[in-house]
Formats: sequence, C-alpha cells, structure tokens
Amino acid sequence: MVTPLDLIRKKRAEAVSRIIGKGYLAAKRVYVGMATCEIAAGSKEVMEVFKQAIAKGIVKDVYLSQKGCAGRCNLEPTVEVIETGKMPVRYGRIDADKARQIIEKHLKGGQVIEEWVIG
Amino acid sequence: MMEYAITICEGPTCIGRHADRLRAILLEELAKRGLKDHVRINISGCLGMCHKGPFLVVNPGYTIYGGVTESDIPVIVEEHIVKDRPIARLAVQEDHLFNRFYRIFGDVGFFGKQMRITLRNCGIIDPENIDDYLALRGYEALAKVLTEMTPQQVIAEVKQSGLRGRGGAGFPTGLKWELTAKQPGPEKYVICNADEGDPGAFMDRSAIEGDPHTILEGMIIGGYAIGSNHGIVYIRAEYPLAVRRLEIAIQQARQHNLLGKGILGTNFDFDIEIRLGAGAFVCGEETALIQSIEGARGMPRPRPPFPATSGLFGKPTLINNVETWANIPVIILEGAKWFSSIGTETSKGTKVFALAGCVVNTGLVEVPMGTTIRQVVYDIGGGIPGGKRLTAVQTGGPSGGCLPESYLDTPVDYESLAKAGSIMGSGGMIVMDETACMVDVARFFLEFTQSESCGKCTPCREGTKRMLEILERIVQGKGRPGDIERLERLGNMIKKASLCGLGQSAPNPVLSTIRHFRDEYQQHIEQKRCPAGVCKALLTYTITDACVGCGACKKVCPVGAISGTKKEKHVIDQAKCIRCGQCYTTCKFNAISRS
Repeated sequence: MVTPLDLIRKKRAEAVSRIIGKGYLAAKRVYVGMATCEIAAGSKEVMEVFKQAIAKGIVKDVYLSQKGCAGRCNLEPTVEVIETGKMPVRYGRIDADKARQIIEKHLKGGQVIEEWVIG
Repeated sequence: MMEYAITICEGPTCIGRHADRLRAILLEELAKRGLKDHVRINISGCLGMCHKGPFLVVNPGYTIYGGVTESDIPVIVEEHIVKDRPIARLAVQEDHLFNRFYRIFGDVGFFGKQMRITLRNCGIIDPENIDDYLALRGYEALAKVLTEMTPQQVIAEVKQSGLRGRGGAGFPTGLKWELTAKQPGPEKYVICNADEGDPGAFMDRSAIEGDPHTILEGMIIGGYAIGSNHGIVYIRAEYPLAVRRLEIAIQQARQHNLLGKGILGTNFDFDIEIRLGAGAFVCGEETALIQSIEGARGMPRPRPPFPATSGLFGKPTLINNVETWANIPVIILEGAKWFSSIGTETSKGTKVFALAGCVVNTGLVEVPMGTTIRQVVYDIGGGIPGGKRLTAVQTGGPSGGCLPESYLDTPVDYESLAKAGSIMGSGGMIVMDETACMVDVARFFLEFTQSESCGKCTPCREGTKRMLEILERIVQGKGRPGDIERLERLGNMIKKASLCGLGQSAPNPVLSTIRHFRDEYQQHIEQKRCPAGVCKALLTYTITDACVGCGACKKVCPVGAISGTKKEKHVIDQAKCIRCGQCYTTCKFNAISRS
C-alpha cells in the first residue's frame, strides 16, 4: 500500500527535480529579498535589474529566486550570491545601481564587493 | 588558499563541555600555522544539537564535527582547512530542519547567535513556490502524522513538547488541542490568528510572507488531531502581500492534494479559507475574532464557554497564533523530546521577537526561551547606537511593560517577564535610549489601547479614557499631586475588572513605568520637568554664551522668536517660542540649551 509518507517522498523528489530543471545547479544562485519590508526598501527595482540581466544574456549560468525576509531590517534590500564550495555572500542595502555593479564585478568578474557585505 | 568560517556552538551544554577551551586551542592552532586571516571564528548560541556537543561547523560546505576533543582540533585544521579534505570520521550527520538556514546565514553574527525554528525557511526559500518548501521536507510532518500517528498520539506529542501559545498568553497548546478534540460532534473549526496589531510588531507578517506553507501544514495537522475539516486564517487586510502569498500557497497545496478531499490518499478532508479583518486591535482577542468571522461587530464576550467548547458558530474551535502553528511541523518531525530540550523549565522552544527602536541591528530575532533580554539587545542587536545609554526595553507592545537597565538579565520566558512587570506578548521588543521619556511612552501606548478599546465593558472604555486624561495633563505640565496614585488605582481596577485581554493588559505600560521610573513621573508633576527632553510643554530653550551670533537659529525659527545682531549673542523670546526644537538641532556650536 502507498502511504502518505511514500507519496510525500515522491513529491519531494519531483519538487527537487523541478527546481533543478529551472537551473538550480547553475554556477551562481542569486536570492533577492521580496517581503513587504524589502519591497518598501526598493527590492523590486533590484529584482528587475537581475531579471533583465539574465533575460538579455548579460549574465549566464545564474539561478535567480525571490525569498522572504530573513529579518535584517536595517540592511534591506538584501541580496545573496551563493556559489557551491564558496562562502555564501550576503549583500545589504542594495539598490538598482549597486545591483548592476554586483552583476558586473561579482557575477561576471568573480569579485566580491566587500564594502556591501553583511558580516 | 580557501576562506573558511568556523562556527563554535557556545550554548549552555556545549560550554559545560568546554567549548570555550576548544575555541582557545583552535585560535592557537590557526595562529601557529599563520591561517588566522583565512579562517573566521564565530560563536553561536545553542544550535539544538546538544547531544553531539561540543561541536564545530565548518563553512562552506556546512560540515558538522561533533563530540570534538582537544586532540581533534589540530587534525581538523590540518585536514579540512589546510588540505580542504573534510574528515568523514569526525563529521556528524544532523539533518535538522533548520540546518539550511545556517548553511547560508550561520556565520553572520546577527543570525548565528539565534536559533531559527519557526523562521527556519524565512529568507532562504521562494515563498510563492511550493517546490521550495517540499524540497526542505515540507509537508513531511503531515504525511508522518497521516501515516503513523493517531489523533491522540499527535495531541500527546504536542502536549509533551511543552509548547505554549505564542500569541502572548502562553496557554499550553497541547491542552487546548485536547480540550477541543474531546468535544463531541463532527463540525469543528481550526483558526489561525494572524491579526497582528501591536505597533511595531511584524513577526507574523514576516513568517507568512517568508514561509506560508509551514503555517498551513501546522493547521492541517491540527485539524487531523481534533477532528476538524475546516480551517480559517484570520488576517488583516493591511497585509496584502501576506494575504496573496497565503492564497497562492493554499492553491498550490490543493493542487498537490495536501488540502481538500482525501488528503494524500487518506480519507481525511481538510480545507483552509482566508478571512480578512479590518484591522481592529481587539479582533486579536479570540472571542472578538470569532465574532468578526461570523460577520458580527468584533467584540469580545465573557469566557467560559471557551472557544474549545463553543467557538465559531457555536462549534468547538481550535485557535492558535501564527507562530504557534509554525512550531507544529518541527515538533512532529524532530520530536517532542528534542523540542522540550530547548528553553526553560516552564517555557519550551524558541520565541520570535521584532527587535526595533534604538538598537544597532534592528530585525527579526528568534532565540531559545531563557535567553536574557541583555543577550538579545547587545549580543544580537549590537547594543545602542551613538554611544547612548539604554533607558528601557519594552516588550509585549501595548499590553506589555517597560523594563529598566537593572532588569536586562531577565530571561525571556512567560513567568520571568510577568514577574518583572511586563509580559511576553506576541513578540514586540522596543529598545529605548536616554532620549525616550517614559511618561510619554506610557501615554503613547495608552492612547493606542484607549482608541482601540471596543467600548463594551465600562472599566476599559471609561477607565483607559480617564487614565489617558491624567497622562496628558502630566505631559502638558499640568500634573497634580496624587496623580501617580490615581493612575495606579485606576490601572489596577481596569486590570481586574475588564472583560477581555485588551482591557486587562492596557494599564501595563503605565503601571510598569510607574514601578520602574517613578522619579520621572515625579519630576514631571512636581518640578514640571521632562528629564529626557521630550515633553514639549515642559521644555525651555535658551541661548548660552557659546553663541557666536551666526544667525542660523534666527533664520530657522518658524515664529520669529529669536533676535540678535550678527556676531553677538542671540536671545529667544520665551513668550513667542513654540518649543519646536529647530534652533536646537540647527545650531552648530551647541549654544542652545534645552531643559
């Protein structure tokens, strides 16, 4: 008999493969905070910059996702860049212009912009 | 050379096993090999893996080394740090639900010192995609319950966990479930109270916006445990994004057969709908909330009967707060025994606080019960900005109280906070520095509860109004002898005689500030002086000899109260001055005194 636990394990496996299908295993994953507080601080514009960059092919091999608020109010909007095998990089107080610089320097150039990093 | 961050858990158990000694040895070892610049050491609070302590977490990669001894340290440094070869022999596999959060945020001081159970997914998953939740063992607790547990066993597990209501009152959750389950009849309701109304509080909003499925999963398990098929989330309309994400989550859960008929192939039916509140503070009170869902005016009614026996539409109703529901999947998957190992004797698990006010790191903080307020404000919050002095910490919003510096070592648990004159509340924590006037703070909160009082019972309706009038005249400089005693008498009367929690707690901000800051009240009343310089009517601005006659204050004064010739000392006409303070903030020479 198939139990609910069997079913949920199957669902989990399917969910993981769907996420991978969306490009989760890309070299870099970018998360943009999109809760009410983050949006109020300007994260929608930041998200748009990353979306455009991916759509126009300015950056390749990047997985972009929204996320809720981690709770770092005074440093919002926040953006994380995660690469396998490296320390996750968490940026704070990012605006559209800084997002463009993250794309240029970090995503394309591999250079972490230390001054915006949340320690 | 790779960069690493090593987190050492220095929770009470790990300290008991000399984690601090390990840290010293590790630092020594790193220094000896010249690796100090490549490895960052973080100290975390309890990470809930006490049985494996002392342990280190090496990032990137999130390798957990458990039961670490002094002789293991050089091995870890040599193999893992120098050669980048994690040591399988020492690594422990701990697939806790909240590990993923620490994988991304664990080495940030602000987060590393917290313990994220209910907020475990907030900030790391896409809240609008059920796949992200499923991938992190989402709905596995529900499946486990449906596969291997009877409703009685679920209730026993919740009871054993020691979980208490996170809305503020702290009623044992398991007991509430048991009482509701015992009621006869097929028609019962499960409600999630998401009517978050405390000024400055945003725990529930963030939890729903960041991880809505956790709350749904908790509610479905609750429905199974008490024998209900109908869940309702009562949330205020002023949280549109939270509402939208809940709607999306419900839709996706239905598509996956996690809501609706025959959930996951069983014969258990359960569905959830959203009801929007108009934003009345009193509707957070359970009986008023139920009236509001029924379409009536949101007003409380006397209890008993409690909602457990006669709630929504007169049917047995299980009503819990957002944060309480978010704990349920964790308790089911990690076990009541593990959950009850966190916290204090009477308060188990963690509590989320919205840390705000005069503190360096404002934000959402989740800490184990028993953590002191000082740890939250200084270790996590980073202390008071601008070198200012802390005056008070306010917990529990308009129902809570202000605790002074001398009470900072009060542990966060239901009983300790109540004993200190405040309450746990739903999780507001406002830090105030020396620029806050305690009388004015009390007036602010009372003004809020007074206007939110529904007016049904006399003590709350009339009493809060009278108290507010007294406070208003005190801050106007018209306080009379005996006003403090009048406030105390009225306050105690309102607390005892009010119908619901709103009235019973409304005097708390006033009574607690009188208890801890009585001299501030006395100075306002007797000397007509506001020591913090907040109460406008009590302030006098004068220009001192430091004045160089630059004329900046004269220019900025909106009523032309300042006169003087250039390069000579200026004067403020006290009769014209409206005490707006613009000259005070404009003067570059500190030549304006405020007293």
